Amino acid sequence: MSVQTINYAAAINQALAEEMRRDARVWMMGQDIGRMGGVFGVTRGLLEEFGAARVRDTTINETFIVGGAAGAAMTGTIPVVELQFADFILIAGDEVFHKLAKWRYVHGGALKLPVVLRLPTGVLGGAGAEHSQSLEAMAMHTPGLKVVLPATPRDAKGLLKTAIRDPNPVLFFEHKSLYRVKGEVSVSEDELVPFGQAAIRRAGRDVTAIATGLMVGRTLEAAEHLAGDGIEVEVIDPRTLVPLDMETILASVARTARAVVVHEAVRTAGPGAEIAARIQERAFFDLDAPVWRVAGTDTPIPQDPVLEQACIPSVAEIETAIRELMRV
Amino acid sequence: MPRNSRAAADTSVSEAHDELATRLYETVALIRAAELRLHAHITEHGFGGFWHPGLGQEGLQAGAVAALREDDYLFYAHRGLGYALAKGMTLEQLFGDLFAKVTGSTRGKGGGTVHFVDPSIGVLGQGGTLGSNFPLGAGAAISSQILGNDRVTAVFFGDGAAARGTFHESALQASVWKLPVVWICENNGWAISAPIAKQSPTEHIADRAAAYGVPGVVVDGQDALAVNAVVVEAVQRAREGGGPTLIEAKTLRIRGHYEGDRQPYRDDVEDSLDVPRDPLTLLREHVPPDVADALDGRARERVDATFDATMAAEAATPDVIFEDVWV
Repeated sequence: MSVQTINYAAAINQALAEEMRRDARVWMMGQDIGRMGGVFGVTRGLLEEFGAARVRDTTINETFIVGGAAGAAMTGTIPVVELQFADFILIAGDEVFHKLAKWRYVHGGALKLPVVLRLPTGVLGGAGAEHSQSLEAMAMHTPGLKVVLPATPRDAKGLLKTAIRDPNPVLFFEHKSLYRVKGEVSVSEDELVPFGQAAIRRAGRDVTAIATGLMVGRTLEAAEHLAGDGIEVEVIDPRTLVPLDMETILASVARTARAVVVHEAVRTAGPGAEIAARIQERAFFDLDAPVWRVAGTDTPIPQDPVLEQACIPSVAEIETAIRELMRV
Repeated sequence: MPRNSRAAADTSVSEAHDELATRLYETVALIRAAELRLHAHITEHGFGGFWHPGLGQEGLQAGAVAALREDDYLFYAHRGLGYALAKGMTLEQLFGDLFAKVTGSTRGKGGGTVHFVDPSIGVLGQGGTLGSNFPLGAGAAISSQILGNDRVTAVFFGDGAAARGTFHESALQASVWKLPVVWICENNGWAISAPIAKQSPTEHIADRAAAYGVPGVVVDGQDALAVNAVVVEAVQRAREGGGPTLIEAKTLRIRGHYEGDRQPYRDDVEDSLDVPRDPLTLLREHVPPDVADALDGRARERVDATFDATMAAEAATPDVIFEDVWV
């Protein structure tokens, strides 16, 4: 299959353009996504190609962006809307957690809400406590939402195309620090990455590390260092937290007997708590050690770019944790 | 225009007016009968939820909804079932929803006032959280623009919900984009326990329209024909690309916020079902008495028969809990 090397932001841009060309019902809105091409440049060129009816610059109005998307989805169009920062799902909390998540359910299945929320997530460098969070566990905690965290350009494109074609509301957490990371992406317009299918990023026999988003790359780097000492880490990227591919994780744990979950979200009640709980519920007797978590600190994120990094797992911390876990 | 032909035109306008009055009377009588039947049931048996009666507000509900086409969209408010009934939902569906029966539009899920739905005739629900209709309605109107159809979205809300920031966000954007939406405020003077004078610095909620560059219209909400006339104009404006209109229909809350609310915060009411400036009485000025009487009787018969059938219908079972979380 022929491939191109592009960055994560460009991969998202391609997915948007291809899906808007494929289906005239697909449209977008968000703050500064049109004339500016998005504050992170992800939507550059789309206003020019698709026009102001389908690429809409909004005012500062998160309840409108998400609630409007919900209303539009109920009436036959497919909105793919951007909140400038994933943190802003809290501003549109009613629209995200009530309308998108529940309106199919409370109406007995009479309505469909095919909405994609594009959510630039995680730390970037000094964005501060209200623009840097990893809130995917809040979405996991709300039945009715699908939750996607692409870690590579290929997945960013393929998962976004799947999200746009999914008849359910999807929260698509794109990591801000991955936007400029390059990788191989299929040139095919038909390559979709399915939901609920984890990727084994690196095979290993000694310990299973389940990592998401920015932490996939850091865990792979830690795994390289550990391999030098003869510790072979199997790195699994679930890619979607809802649905969650526990089968791949459990099969790996059955081989390695040890597991650690690595994520940028805060430790308490983060995605790792759920994944660890499911591993012990279903594979307790496969385990030689407790399931550990390497996660964000239970604190808000400081504005300072150096302090901010101290709040999320570093390569060294992941490496140290896995080394210690091997001795348990 | 020659004199006699104008006279002919006036006659035909007047006939159409009476025909509309009769049609509205039929709808209001049906809503009223349903409201009274529910009231009687709740008084005797209680209710497994909160019923927010629309008694006394049926005229504006019927008058406004009659201005919509079948394929126009409706986000209704929480005062009663009049909006959905007027839009064409059946008593079977609505009573079924209220009593969590499989005959309801949600098949026993999400019963109560809040979640009647029938997308085939544009009934899209109402937010459980007040004021959340505004962005939803604006979104439906965006679909009309994108799909290039001329469907209009009507959004009902109370004077209380008018305070939400969602109105500001939606009104500003809808006006800038000239979205085909009509906002209909049912100002019954009370946001649960707060009288309008404590909630609004201006006499009229419609005065806020000026800030968004849209027309604001105040109308007597007890007069179904008057409400219909202003909503017809607003719907036409929206359909033709002229953008939104804010209509404020002045009405009355003759019952509590919910049935059973003793209203200790209020000294202007007694426990009565009488409706001052009753929309039915006002409509009777345009409907022959025998026709009105027959419509009243027919409404009661339909309501009683459907109510009894609903009570006898199958209740939803716990199986529904796991249905429809995802497609």
